Amino acid sequence: MTQPLVDRHDVELAALAAAGGRREFGELVRRHGSAVRALLRRMGAQPSLADDVAQDAFIQAFQRCGEFRGEGTFAAWVKRIAARLYIKRVAKEARYVAEIENEDTAPATDHAGLVDLDEALKALSEPERLCVSLCHGAGMAHPEIASALNLPLGTVKSHVKRGLDKLRARLQPEPAQTMGRIQHVG
Amino acid sequence: MSADEFDPFVERLFARSPTMPDAPLFTARVEQQLQKGSRVRFLALSLAGLVGGVVAVRETMQVDLDLAPRQGVVAGDALGQGIQSASVSVQSGVQSVLDQAGLGNLELGSMGGMQLFWIAAGALIVVAAAGVMKLSQEI
Repeated sequence: MTQPLVDRHDVELAALAAAGGRREFGELVRRHGSAVRALLRRMGAQPSLADDVAQDAFIQAFQRCGEFRGEGTFAAWVKRIAARLYIKRVAKEARYVAEIENEDTAPATDHAGLVDLDEALKALSEPERLCVSLCHGAGMAHPEIASALNLPLGTVKSHVKRGLDKLRARLQPEPAQTMGRIQHVG
Repeated sequence: MSADEFDPFVERLFARSPTMPDAPLFTARVEQQLQKGSRVRFLALSLAGLVGGVVAVRETMQVDLDLAPRQGVVAGDALGQGIQSASVSVQSGVQSVLDQAGLGNLELGSMGGMQLFWIAAGALIVVAAAGVMKLSQEI
């Protein structure tokens, strides 16, 4: 009796997908589709663009599934593909060089009092938001981001630092309380 | 909270992502796209194979099947004539297909038959590979 897809590990599903298994890949899309779409929205993409880029990223991931060796997580691998595709799109529009500042520093929590990252990210300028998301959401190193965005390394570092400072000001977490909540949710 | 504590805290926040309400729709769209891509690839490869096959048959008929006159052996004559008549009928069939496709006036016989065959086959392989690569990029 074959193991149901839902019980299979990502690495196993990716190996089957690399051999042409579309059903197995569909399971991976079901598991990680929302995470990839959410990352793209956090990077500043409009929902429809985020969905288009996420779709392209998954198609590309399917074609390159043989390259996934399971060194990191499958989700992280697809997120990086998606992030790079999004950068290509925004690079054409040069959106990330625009400085849009929003100095609203009200704490970003949702109705349940949980930390709302999406709300807090709105306080960041587009370049800060993009750099912070690439660094902490897609797991890209600063030099990698600088190369992908064609920006000086120092600029990327200062975008990340300023972005994190703004996030810290807005999130204002109470360490013990917040960490406990994250563990429950995550 | 210090920077050392805050960085992993932000990473954990990024790792938390809500399940989108239209997640099943998104999954279905991706699966549909994959299905479509594989159909297009299959059709492109089949078409390239078909065209290559037609050209190969035509060239083979022109080159190899006029053996009989060169063979002086009496016993081979009948066989040679049989093959030759078969070749003529196949050739005329292929020619009519090419005529319908508007390729009937191609003067392929002036070159060496096998040479032309390999050139045509090579060109088709290059075209098919380029087509597949382009399709892969578009999908």
